[in-house]
Amino acid sequence: MAIEIPCSWCGPRPFTEFSFGGEWRELEAPDPEADFARVYLPENREGWQRERWFHAMGCRTWTTVTRDTRTNAIEGS
Amino acid sequence: MGTIEFEGRPVSFEQGDTIASALYRAGVRTFSRSLKYHRRRGLYCGTGDCPNCLMTVDERPAVHTCTAPCAEGMRIERPGGFPNAERDLLHVTDSLHRVMPVGFYYKTFVRPRFAWPIAERVIRRATGLGALPPTTAATRQVVRHEHVGTLVVGAGIAGLDAARDAGAGGTVLVCDEGRIGHAIAPGTTADRLAELAADVRSLENVAVLEGFTALGIYEGLHVPLAGDGELVHVHPSRVIVATGAVEEHGVFPGNDLPGVMLGRAAAGLAGIHGVRPGERAVVVVRTGEGIDHLRALTAAGVEVVAVAVSTALASRLPSDGVGEIVVDGDVLEARGGSSLRSVALRRDGRGKRFDCDLLVLSLGLSPRDGLARMALPGEPVTLVGDAAGETRHDGRCGHDGTVCLCEDVSIHDLEQAWDEGFRNAEILKRYTTTTMGPCQGAMCGRALACFAASHADGRSHPPEGTDAPRTTARPPTRPVTLESLAAGVHEIVDKRTSLHELHVSAGAQLDRSGGWLRPFSYGDWRGEYRAVRERVSVMDVGTLGKFTIAGPGADELVDRLFPCRTDDLEPGRNRYVLTLDEAGYVMDDGLLGRADEGDWYLTSTSGGAGRMDARLRNLADRLELDAHVLDRTAQWGAINVAGPYARDLLERLTDDPIGAEAVPSRGFADVTVAGVPCRAVRTGFVGELAFELHHPRRRGPGLWRELVDAGREWDLRPHGLDALELLRLEKGHVYLGQDTMPDDTPAKLRMSWAVDMSKPWFVGKQALERMSSLPPSRRQVGLEFSGGPADTAALRGEPLIVRGTVVGRITSAERSIALDRAIGLGWVRTVDGGFPERLETGSGATARVVPTPFYDPKGGRMRG
Repeated sequence: MAIEIPCSWCGPRPFTEFSFGGEWRELEAPDPEADFARVYLPENREGWQRERWFHAMGCRTWTTVTRDTRTNAIEGS
Repeated sequence: MGTIEFEGRPVSFEQGDTIASALYRAGVRTFSRSLKYHRRRGLYCGTGDCPNCLMTVDERPAVHTCTAPCAEGMRIERPGGFPNAERDLLHVTDSLHRVMPVGFYYKTFVRPRFAWPIAERVIRRATGLGALPPTTAATRQVVRHEHVGTLVVGAGIAGLDAARDAGAGGTVLVCDEGRIGHAIAPGTTADRLAELAADVRSLENVAVLEGFTALGIYEGLHVPLAGDGELVHVHPSRVIVATGAVEEHGVFPGNDLPGVMLGRAAAGLAGIHGVRPGERAVVVVRTGEGIDHLRALTAAGVEVVAVAVSTALASRLPSDGVGEIVVDGDVLEARGGSSLRSVALRRDGRGKRFDCDLLVLSLGLSPRDGLARMALPGEPVTLVGDAAGETRHDGRCGHDGTVCLCEDVSIHDLEQAWDEGFRNAEILKRYTTTTMGPCQGAMCGRALACFAASHADGRSHPPEGTDAPRTTARPPTRPVTLESLAAGVHEIVDKRTSLHELHVSAGAQLDRSGGWLRPFSYGDWRGEYRAVRERVSVMDVGTLGKFTIAGPGADELVDRLFPCRTDDLEPGRNRYVLTLDEAGYVMDDGLLGRADEGDWYLTSTSGGAGRMDARLRNLADRLELDAHVLDRTAQWGAINVAGPYARDLLERLTDDPIGAEAVPSRGFADVTVAGVPCRAVRTGFVGELAFELHHPRRRGPGLWRELVDAGREWDLRPHGLDALELLRLEKGHVYLGQDTMPDDTPAKLRMSWAVDMSKPWFVGKQALERMSSLPPSRRQVGLEFSGGPADTAALRGEPLIVRGTVVGRITSAERSIALDRAIGLGWVRTVDGGFPERLETGSGATARVVPTPFYDPKGGRMRG
């Protein structure tokens, strides 16, 4: 089986059904200047990272997933 | 049995012949010319690993002729060589070795700069594995997905054995690049293979794919298999790699002469194809398999003049017919001209020379473990059989000779690269391209690792028994065709509206747009345009994204996504909306209408519907709003009824009020038209009175027919995208993506009116605040042209120039029918702190910046 993403509606599904929504980030920065870093300077972390996945070819629900970028292990699965 | 054509002359072949064995029987000894120095290369590995036998077969370049079976009428050509591979004048490059060292293209022809393009052309023609056919169309490959429990790569004894075991407990797929048991001499091995294959084929849950090559192992466990006409993506739970081992490549001076051959190639010729690989042979035996190879040679009548044998195997040599036996002997060098003439063996610390035309090497086995080495730690990928063997390092790295047959790299070249500072296997690989050729390191990987390990310690050899670091294994493991990589790309799925058949029967010119197949015109786009401007017309706009956004949190959701005010929209009213991304750039646009409290109806661009849906759902999820987004794009069709008589036409088909009160400009209402329940949405895109009738998809064809019928009174004609292009351009409406840049803010599009910065928060607001202090740099403009080409549309894409400097670009251009002027849209940068008003186009026309809309600037016609 392919890597599986735990969709909050469908449960674990192959990652090919999803599109990647980027690192999880706050919707708003404390001020417009700090907003630059929020938008343009992702952490690109080596290790566990919170990120957004969209079940594009499925139920079209968004899920926040914690994934280890080194191994693609996914928290809680 | 049959005949193939080899470079214009007929060559006969026997049952079971490979192309290489047929050619060898016919006396061909030079199988190719080496990539760089054009050295003669003969049949070498016999197992489809090395590059020596690569030829062009029926215009297909780079075919391993040593494993490809003969077929009647095949046309075979050796690539490279001028005038041909047999008599190759480019062989002169071999004596120019000193001026063409490794990495020479980084060093020579650098200055003068004009020299390189010339040199590049010459070099490109002198190298390569053969030309791609200029005329033959690529064969389309289809894509298939297979989900199995176990994938076994390699159907040799180890692979079939593993498949049989795995078949007891789940689904199994076994693949092999060739046919099972093909080119194996009769004997115990062949019998065992046949027996295992029969067992495996009898199992119901085991599938066998012959002629499929595993290209790599990707994570998640995904293995693409390239075969004839299709690419199979296998998604297995586990993979068993049983790809066997390749015979070790010997590195010594003269090791690439024709006549030097690995044991399996020589034994295959002698034992399977009945071709004597040479008359007088020197044989090196360091594997048990080598003893069998030796027997096959003597049985075929080859005179073995000397055998260099390892101490361990000395006692197993046949007692007679093997010439001089040199225990623990080693090859010092091979000599010859166009083919091998003599071999020097080390005996008791001294060299002894033997005249011969064949040197057979059975030096050891290097596992073909590249596939398994691509797996991530912990992934269920296991090696079995010879592929699970260890890469042997017995301290024999070679002092001279060709390491990489594919890329023509010698020990000497590696030493030079080492001296230049490239001091580990990975960067030696990149600099010298060793292991990067068609064999992908099958032949040279071990030798390169050995070289790097031995030099790293300042020793001449790595310590015996240590594992020299191998370079990273990456897909593809085997050469792959562009057709395989492009498999499936031609399988384009076009979405169609419910009116598709009506368009086809009306003779519409259909083409792709935003993922849909849409009418561009019905034969006369100017006539269609006039119908909209002067009378009445219909257009299929069922492709528009259509959404219902409802629930207690719906009001907040739309207010946060769209940068304009939404709270002041009355039920039944709609508003043009932009969507911004978090960087403040315009992503999409649409029309937002309030149906009721907490009930919104949104239309988006045809190509942006999926994106709009994703953004709405993302924001609703992030804000934890109780809002539901219902994508009705596929559920509802839409027909735009546009033109001065649009209302008159609708009045014929409905009893519901559709006057300016009931369906106001910038408003919508639910009405029944020709018995079809519709949501009539007033729009202004074409600049005339217009009603979009959104309706249940399957009622579309009936509604369309009724509209067309009732419209005869006004000589109604449907219009397509070509007419729409001018209709919207005259109104100065931008097509997002065509007339805009990826970093356009609303201000750059002169659309600040679509943003309300007094709102507490919307997506992209902070970015707009941050950028508000930046000086204006670029903006989208309306243009009017004079002195341009007869066909104004030819101006599209031209640069806009001020005093010789490009400061902008034309994104849309067309001759306006209503105004009889050449008009367009584009963008310009500031010049000396201000936006230029007069510019020159790339072709010399004059462009003047003018206000938009060009047509009906006050919008009276549209408001109707």
